Amino acid sequence: MIRLENVSKMYGTDTLAVRDASFDIAKGEFVFLVGPSGSGKSTLLRLISRQERPERGSVWVAGQNINELAESRVPYLRRTLGNVFQDYKLLPNKTVFENVAFALEVIGQPKHIIRQQVPQVIELVGLAGKEDRFPDQLSGGEQQRVSIARAFVNRPLILLADEPTGNLDPTTGEGIMALLDAINRTGTTIIMATHDHRVVNAMRRRVIQLDRGVMVRDQERGVYE
Amino acid sequence: MISRISYALRETAAGFRRNMTLTAAAVLTSAVSLLLVGTTFLIQRAFDNLLVQWRGDVGMIVFVRPDASQEQIAFIEQTLKAQPNVVNVDKLQYLDKVASYEEAKRVFAGDPTTLSLLSVENIPSQFKVVPKSPDPALVRSLADQYRTLPGVQVVSLAEDEFDVIATLSNFVRAVTIGMSLILLTVAVVLIWNTIRTAMFARRREIEVMKLVGATDWFIRIPFMLEGLLQGLIGAVVSCGGLWALNQAWTNGVAGFKAGTGVSSLVVPGSYVSGVMVALLVIGSIAGAIGSGVAATKFLDV
Repeated sequence: MIRLENVSKMYGTDTLAVRDASFDIAKGEFVFLVGPSGSGKSTLLRLISRQERPERGSVWVAGQNINELAESRVPYLRRTLGNVFQDYKLLPNKTVFENVAFALEVIGQPKHIIRQQVPQVIELVGLAGKEDRFPDQLSGGEQQRVSIARAFVNRPLILLADEPTGNLDPTTGEGIMALLDAINRTGTTIIMATHDHRVVNAMRRRVIQLDRGVMVRDQERGVYE
Repeated sequence: MISRISYALRETAAGFRRNMTLTAAAVLTSAVSLLLVGTTFLIQRAFDNLLVQWRGDVGMIVFVRPDASQEQIAFIEQTLKAQPNVVNVDKLQYLDKVASYEEAKRVFAGDPTTLSLLSVENIPSQFKVVPKSPDPALVRSLADQYRTLPGVQVVSLAEDEFDVIATLSNFVRAVTIGMSLILLTVAVVLIWNTIRTAMFARRREIEVMKLVGATDWFIRIPFMLEGLLQGLIGAVVSCGGLWALNQAWTNGVAGFKAGTGVSSLVVPGSYVSGVMVALLVIGSIAGAIGSGVAATKFLDV
């Protein structure tokens, strides 16, 4: 599903954000990217969604080399990816329903699809009954659920989550992890960058560890260390 | 497809509401600049009416009595051609009664009373003379000679009729064209800035749109439509202004005594409509350029 071959990414002229990273992620896997701040976790996610392009090496997503993808095809790549962020990136002037519907609306989905899909996914993330709330009327955990619903409503092949529990207390974080686990069980590949020891140790999934841009560990059923 | 169009229209309308003050400034500036562009056209046309008789370096017009015989006309032509040093024979032009009547329609556009008194039968035909000699005194003495020829009604000299007007016309043209170009640039920059501000205000939304896979054009079109509409609305306002201005001008000119020449400054309605269409097109293009540049440049938020 995702393959990196000897990928290096520079920031500026002398900072190496990612050095010679190679890995393969199969369909349906749940992978943690771990490491301290600045170790290159977010950069890897941005390389996969082509918000960044590597100086060296190639990135393959769903069978295509996305570095060679024409600029005009990038939106179609993004439609196969869902993004979840530490700060949710919800639109404050839109309700829960509108925030989720927005993701379908802007890729030109017709109204009847939106009316059918959005309530389904809102129920899936456990926010049924809160469709008309605005983000500032929700708790942090609920806001992250909206963000996950928005990322998942288009049924992407891959979900990229950057520190999704970073702003949440441990109990709320567990709830979010249960939700991501449920989504993973529908066959969606999930890559999650985190430095939250507890969630990694509790889930026991594949762990790729980075240190200053270098992959130092790639372990099945790993822990944080 | 329908959902995309309705999305673009809803977003365009929302953009107007969100950003009232800047939008108003952009619309008003384009309105004022386009009004000035339109006025330039009208002033030009008005002066043209006044000068139409003298177009092409004509320095002297010999008006021939409407009842002059063919022999008399031929004799006048001969006399004119007999002065190849003073008269540019190649450019000598004879306007018969029909052609002269067509010209009169423009000259007396604002003076229907005079025009109604004229007809193809009673209008003088005319020889338009392009002088070869740069010496005005020579041309003037020639004119005095021609006045005495049989069949000649009157001889007019460009010097007496319009030199001042021609100078004035050139000056006014330069000033109005210069000012409208400057103001038009200001309007484009203001529209550009309005769209840039709108996009900056909505950078979070644009970021999310890009991440969930909206195409650049899908994001861009509402902003471009917003700018185009600002230009277009400005143009509509300027058309109203131009119409009112021309109305007031026409009424004002009607108050002058007939035969003073001021009446030829009236611009016909059909020409004003043409200018209005041009303004609508220019306004839309200016809006589309300003917003198009902004929407392309600031898409990477």
